[in-house]
Amino acid sequence: MLEEFAKIGRDIFQEGMVSSHGGNLSVRVGDRILITRRGSMLGELKAGDVVETGVDKDDWGIALASSEIVVHRAIYQATSALAVVHAHPPHAVVLSLLQDEIIPIDSEASYLLHRVPVVTAEKTIGSEEVARIVPEALQGYKIVMLRGHGSFAIGQFLEEAYQWTSVLEASCRMLYLMRALEGKPREYRKGSDSYGKW
Amino acid sequence: MGGWMGRILRVDLTRGEWREEALDARLAADYLGGRGLGARIISDEVPPGADPLGPQNVLAFCTGPLTGTAAPAAGRFSLSTRSPLTGLIHDSNAGGTWGVRLKRCGYDALIITGRASAPCWLFLDGERVETLDARPFWELDTWAATSGVAGAAQGLVRGAAVGEAAAAGGGTVAGEEPAGVSVLCIGPAGTSGALLAAIIVDGRRALARGGVGAVMGAKNLKAIAVAGARRVEVADPAAFQFVAYEAQKLVSANPVTSRALPQFGTAVLVNLMNELGILPARNFTASQFEAAGALSGEAMAATLLVRRAACWGCTIACGRVIRSLPGADDADGARDAGSAGAAGAAGAASARRDHEEGPEYESIWALGADCGIGSLEDVVRANRLCNRLGLDTISAGATIACAMEIGTRGGDGPAFGDAAAQRRLLRGMAGREGAGADMAGGARRYATRHGAADLAMHARGLELPGYDPRGMQGQGLAFATSNRGGCHLRANMLSCEVLGLPKMVDRFASGGRAGILIVLQHAHAAMDSLGVCKFAGLALTDEHWARLLTAATGVAYRTQDLQRAGERIWNLERLYNLRVGSGGADDALPARLVTEPVAAGPSAGHVVELLPMLAEYYRFRRWDGAGRPTPPKLAELGLAGLEGLADPAGSEGSEGSAGTEGSEGGDRHA
Repeated sequence: MLEEFAKIGRDIFQEGMVSSHGGNLSVRVGDRILITRRGSMLGELKAGDVVETGVDKDDWGIALASSEIVVHRAIYQATSALAVVHAHPPHAVVLSLLQDEIIPIDSEASYLLHRVPVVTAEKTIGSEEVARIVPEALQGYKIVMLRGHGSFAIGQFLEEAYQWTSVLEASCRMLYLMRALEGKPREYRKGSDSYGKW
Repeated sequence: MGGWMGRILRVDLTRGEWREEALDARLAADYLGGRGLGARIISDEVPPGADPLGPQNVLAFCTGPLTGTAAPAAGRFSLSTRSPLTGLIHDSNAGGTWGVRLKRCGYDALIITGRASAPCWLFLDGERVETLDARPFWELDTWAATSGVAGAAQGLVRGAAVGEAAAAGGGTVAGEEPAGVSVLCIGPAGTSGALLAAIIVDGRRALARGGVGAVMGAKNLKAIAVAGARRVEVADPAAFQFVAYEAQKLVSANPVTSRALPQFGTAVLVNLMNELGILPARNFTASQFEAAGALSGEAMAATLLVRRAACWGCTIACGRVIRSLPGADDADGARDAGSAGAAGAAGAASARRDHEEGPEYESIWALGADCGIGSLEDVVRANRLCNRLGLDTISAGATIACAMEIGTRGGDGPAFGDAAAQRRLLRGMAGREGAGADMAGGARRYATRHGAADLAMHARGLELPGYDPRGMQGQGLAFATSNRGGCHLRANMLSCEVLGLPKMVDRFASGGRAGILIVLQHAHAAMDSLGVCKFAGLALTDEHWARLLTAATGVAYRTQDLQRAGERIWNLERLYNLRVGSGGADDALPARLVTEPVAAGPSAGHVVELLPMLAEYYRFRRWDGAGRPTPPKLAELGLAGLEGLADPAGSEGSEGSAGTEGSEGGDRHA
């Protein structure tokens, strides 16, 4: 399991979707949660950097767990997710400050995501408020953006949640480039005016 | 109301009465339709003490809210009942057109209770419900009966009086769907009460497993013809069209649903399973078969395939129409229609057929590799025999494979590879004659009677399908925990352990499998309840189904709501099984799979590591250590009222699950 955490964590860091000590990953195994250690470096996860505690209850593992564990737990309680990836993808974070939803323009993200909602909280890190609004949004979407902070993605596998994160950031990069060129894209997708209703 | 039609038809065969009921909107919202609605009906209406072959058992044919809509591959329906083979709550699921035409009669479900005093068949078109004399068709095989009943039903559609209807129709070419009406029927296996009897749908698909054909036979019901023509409305047509379009794009882009299944059918798995050491051979004594290539989808495409065949509304078209082989088994085992009086026209039509439905992967495996038979032509003939006699190919093949192993070990039974003996036994199973009669109750009963219980490859009394779980750990857990017994359709871990959908996992690793399996079990329960095909589900996610359901019904479903509905259905089924005495002790696999490592090939050295996976599974489900849903879990799912009905004592042993043993061998039907 550590191997999978380390591989996904390294890729997220190398893609520039977290800073040196940012982001966190977890998986659910029954009534237990395996989550990255508070202060660990996703790019260099090693033995001891993945800690175990309860999905519902605290035990000694809570002393070491990521500060976002409250959100991860709430996601597992509210959804059928078996894995959660939280990252700070910069292009997606910037767009989350400008708009209330992200609608991709590229094919890959259009097929896979259609629409990514943006939710807002006053206290954006490890708060009860985030633990309430993010899981609620994830009941209908596989990835959501918390305005100004980052993404929360779910899946059956870490790799799956990572994929949604990577697809979103790549798509936001394209949106950024398109806007930088001040061009108006030529629509190629039938029914794209309905993507906002996804 | 969109998606749902809002009405249920209830037919009491004992009294010869029928009535319509409104669909309970709350039940529909919670259980969706199809398998979920059927599970609730069986749970409410069939007491644990009821004989599955008695009048107290119920047949609940249920469509889903997406059945007959433009959602991908949405032509399916399910039949729920209590299985005479396993004694468990059971549902079988089929495609074709029958479910769509039932729904177009204006019904979400057709519930059949009681027992007719004489052989009958039913006709319904949304305006009329007719109970007709089935004596002219009773002894016919499924091809001839489908053709004859279809002809009579077409006569009714054209306005013939009931008394004239049987002679009015012209029938159809066997294996082809009749125009305007759809027919499901049983063959000689169902009318004789064989516990491996299937129901054949549209002459080419099957409600195959669990002995559902015997339940129909025990009710003196030969066939049901449906001829509905109403529109299936959706609540938000624009939104529905958009989501269906987006979903279909993924079905068309996925190589499994756009290339592998269309080109080679489900038989594309034969070579793949063999290469990976997952294709059980000779009653699971090996996990590879030397003649797999000759039985493969590629071989069938190169030699026998005429064209592809699709169920209603499906672009995948995994069905195979193949050239009929000369000199096959036309007159074997069942009376052809030629001498059947009013059905004579149908018989003539039957004789004209020159092509037929080809075998699926599971049938190829059960009748081929599992029996040590490596000739595709032999398998095609055996498959045809099963379809015409109305036998479940998996259970029939697996039971013969079990007998063959007993024979190989010096007991009384045929040898592996004896195709002629296989055909003889299939006829005997259906007619309950000769050595085949001894096998008509399935592998568990047969092996137990022959002092070789460990050689029956089953779970909960249902014969295992064609995957050796020693090469797929998660599949082993799936078989052991399946609510209807040894089955790949409650949740097929093939998706993630072999196909990498949605992601590839190590198929030899057992840790972490429980959670993945449970999500899949819920997703499959939901798909079975929506009326859609799991093959489309290989390309899609719960998210697509939830959005389609929302647009169809106008009721807001999120992805998680669909998972929750699946969990509710799963736990309800588990409660019923606990009531009839099948609990944690039955969450098991044949000893061979957990103690005998595979001898050779890519899966060599492996057994199923079941116990640790099972412990993780119970914890994940929040069941107790004996495999019983805990009160908080039941309350969370809205099932608390059913909690007290579970029988804790019954879960301690598996013998109780043979509540059906009393009907085994058909004491009532001998």
